[in-house]
Amino acid sequence: MTAIAAERYTGASIKRSEDPRILTGAGRYVDDIKLPGMLHAAFVRSPLAHARVLSVDASAARELPGVVAVLTGADLDAMTVPAPDPLLAMFGGSGPMPEFTLLATDKVRLVGDPVAIVVAESRYIAEDGCELVEVEYEDLPPVMSAAFALDPGSPPLFANLGNNVARPLSRKEFGDVAGTFAAADRVMDFHVDVHRHQNVPMEGRACIASYDAELGLMTVHAATQSVHITRNGIATRLGMDADKVHVLAGDIGGSFGLKIGASREEQAVAAASRHVGRPVKWVEDRGENLTVSGQAREESFDIRAAFGDDGVLLGLDVRMVIDTGAYPGMGGLVPSIVEAMLPGPYKLAALGFESTAAITNKATYVAYRGPWASETFIRERILDVIAKDLGLDPVEIRLRNVAARTEPPAMMITGRPLAGVTTRESLERVTQLVDYPAFRRRQAQAREQGRYLGIGVATFIEAAPGPRGPEGGLGMESMRLRLEEDGIVALFTGQMPHGQSHQTTLAQIAADEFGVPFEQVRVVVGDSAVVPFGLTGGSRSATMTGGVALHGTRQLKAKVLDFAAHLMEASAQDLVITDGNVWVRGDPESAVAVSEIAARAAAGESDGDVDAELEVEASYDGGQGGWSGGTHCAIVDVDVETGIVKVERYIAVEDCGALINPAVVEGQIRGGVAQGIGAVLLERSAYTEDGNFQSATFMDYLMPTACDVPRIEIEHLQTVPLDADVNFRGVGEGGMIVAPPTVVNAIEDALEPFGVRIYEQHLPPARILELIAAVRPRTGAGTGPGRLPGRAGQGPRRC
Amino acid sequence: MVDITLRVNGATRTGSPEVRKTLADFLREDLSLTGTHVGCEHGVCGACTVILDGRAVRSCLMLAVQAAGSDVTTIEGLAADGEMSTLQQAMWDSHSFQCGFCTPGFVMQATAFLGDHPDADERQIREALSGNICRCTGYQSIVEGVLLAAERNRERS
Repeated sequence: MTAIAAERYTGASIKRSEDPRILTGAGRYVDDIKLPGMLHAAFVRSPLAHARVLSVDASAARELPGVVAVLTGADLDAMTVPAPDPLLAMFGGSGPMPEFTLLATDKVRLVGDPVAIVVAESRYIAEDGCELVEVEYEDLPPVMSAAFALDPGSPPLFANLGNNVARPLSRKEFGDVAGTFAAADRVMDFHVDVHRHQNVPMEGRACIASYDAELGLMTVHAATQSVHITRNGIATRLGMDADKVHVLAGDIGGSFGLKIGASREEQAVAAASRHVGRPVKWVEDRGENLTVSGQAREESFDIRAAFGDDGVLLGLDVRMVIDTGAYPGMGGLVPSIVEAMLPGPYKLAALGFESTAAITNKATYVAYRGPWASETFIRERILDVIAKDLGLDPVEIRLRNVAARTEPPAMMITGRPLAGVTTRESLERVTQLVDYPAFRRRQAQAREQGRYLGIGVATFIEAAPGPRGPEGGLGMESMRLRLEEDGIVALFTGQMPHGQSHQTTLAQIAADEFGVPFEQVRVVVGDSAVVPFGLTGGSRSATMTGGVALHGTRQLKAKVLDFAAHLMEASAQDLVITDGNVWVRGDPESAVAVSEIAARAAAGESDGDVDAELEVEASYDGGQGGWSGGTHCAIVDVDVETGIVKVERYIAVEDCGALINPAVVEGQIRGGVAQGIGAVLLERSAYTEDGNFQSATFMDYLMPTACDVPRIEIEHLQTVPLDADVNFRGVGEGGMIVAPPTVVNAIEDALEPFGVRIYEQHLPPARILELIAAVRPRTGAGTGPGRLPGRAGQGPRRC
Repeated sequence: MVDITLRVNGATRTGSPEVRKTLADFLREDLSLTGTHVGCEHGVCGACTVILDGRAVRSCLMLAVQAAGSDVTTIEGLAADGEMSTLQQAMWDSHSFQCGFCTPGFVMQATAFLGDHPDADERQIREALSGNICRCTGYQSIVEGVLLAAERNRERS
């Protein structure tokens, strides 16, 4: 335990209670679990992007010693029921839903589409079995771009839809769009592409399903962001009552949005366990993870911007096309969030927004850390281009547009109040920290020597959870809290941490509120039979779960004090709890340990007038909520001979309200920024025109390393408390949302002597060289070839 | 199946793995040492790093039978008496990790590196860790943990 200078745990960088186990190899991830009689699964997967399945012959595989079962798509179809994607079922998709089977039966729709599951005594044998399954395919023309998908002549992936439109084109207008554009001094058009990239948690998807036929009970050990959404997904698909599916989760090796609910493979594993009557484990390998677990962000935007000669952005008219990949996932839900968030922290008089979603023969669109991030990318990108058009500095154009903090707060044109937003302060602070004028001088000197340095800034706001708006609530978060008989304050939460450190941060809040040492609080997660419904995602836990922990602990404490008052023959109002002891205010001699109170309650020492059941069910509506946000700044050094971009310095000025644990907050920010830097400089989920997937290994899908990510300097603003008690706000997604425009803005600034304008997000060295060579704005074209530079080999390299 | 004998975390261990079984799978499945993680199975991510005869190696790229007669240290061997090593303690103090999946690889890689380079600076540490992938942290907290451990080692000696 760190010696804590402050009186309170909350606000201090308390060492994580998760760390002793993970640092010593004692963590327990799905693949670490071994059940008696456990079998191992592997999937037969399509080598083609789009094809009819003519036949599946599993006879040779079934005869292989050690293979226990091979279930084809048809076999599984007979033992399961149709069910929607669990996430879509929760949030509701729009339009007709495509019809498809759990594993492919009539056709395959992407490279890696599962066709059969082989269950064997070992993973090695299961993979041998996959090699023996003969599948005959008949090629169909692949649909590899959104543009082709939206062409009525493209072959439909799903027969019942008749086309490849996942979300029909729809348009909404906020404010007077036509009038604003007609009256503006200037109007500019842009086409911006955001490339396909993906979550890539270090642990892929994984589960063990274990069916007990006598009890009719399915137990699933899952890697998931929500044990209940996984439970619902499996129960629905298997035609079981939800209370007959018990989902357990231990340590989870990252997710970033990928592991919500139960994927088709996980549902198939559960069905296979029920079929063979033994536990079945499936652990996705890296090739499967990169190829089929899910991908994100392939979006294109046609943007028309209206602005004044003074640089004031007046209106935007945007058409968004999202490539949602093959099977229904989150892609169809993303455009609405992009639309709502597009104004960001800026005054904007009018917004026209239309969007459509296309179905293609690529991996399914999944949530990835800030799924709507493109709103920030396009806004922050075009602000820079407009600034250059007007001869304004990028910081200056932002200061001219950012909404002033007024009371009542300014409203986003799309409807939400900009309460407590501190964008202006963060912009001003970033320019001080980086010494903006000094950088411009250094940049000029460097250019004289043929070195191209650039500086970029970008701002963002993140609805984490968002302000309480005119429509009211922010949703609810539940928690059960209990004083156990050994004096432990136990918090049962539906949060399913996978790196977020909830077992530490929630304990900090509860320890302070209750008055017990940090070690006396236990945070219980990962058991669908024990914890309330919940989901770790959307940067919600700081406010929502932090809030319910605070208010719930307060309720539990009141109950404990009522019981203690009865034991101690005092008035509850006169009792206080500090350091794990209850005592009468002003009389230290009266101290009784909380553990003793708990033991006596458990022993039934109650005369009936006072409740000895020291447990409460709490819920929290988010209070006043609030925005997270800030400004990031990058300085880059672009080598115009090689195209290599080095991020020399990176500064984040962020406002997430009150910090629960600064080290945890900073870890979230740095991790998000690293993913954003990777997205711009390295990562791309690449397909050929005929649908082959080209980035199925870490030699092709390049992840940022310790040499690619600079030190990230962070300063916290804690400007505007909105709520009497809970001013913690989420930071899970902000870094990933704002880092891409920050870095791209810096690259464009570095290349200003060439007149380069950038309308895309993926800028590997080859693309940088192409941009310099072209030296003209790109409008209307798709992403260029941008060949991925392969990594030279394994192991350490030079920074 | 081939009978092999090797030393793991200071104890003599025997087993009969299939020839094709990787050292990582042998450690995890046959010896129940699940602290070693398998992140990519093609030698890039480094999650499976163990120390074999004094050098950090990727246990996913090596067959168990190749390790016969070798001396292997896994993450479980660093705090064998229940007390964390200086590096593990420094990483705890530095909030080095988040989800923990890449952790054993970084800890083993950094343990081997610090053994050979007790005076390494930040750049050398970053280079030494650049063959290990972490998706959560952005690396800074890991580098700080290694720097802190190096400093504490120097103070002690």
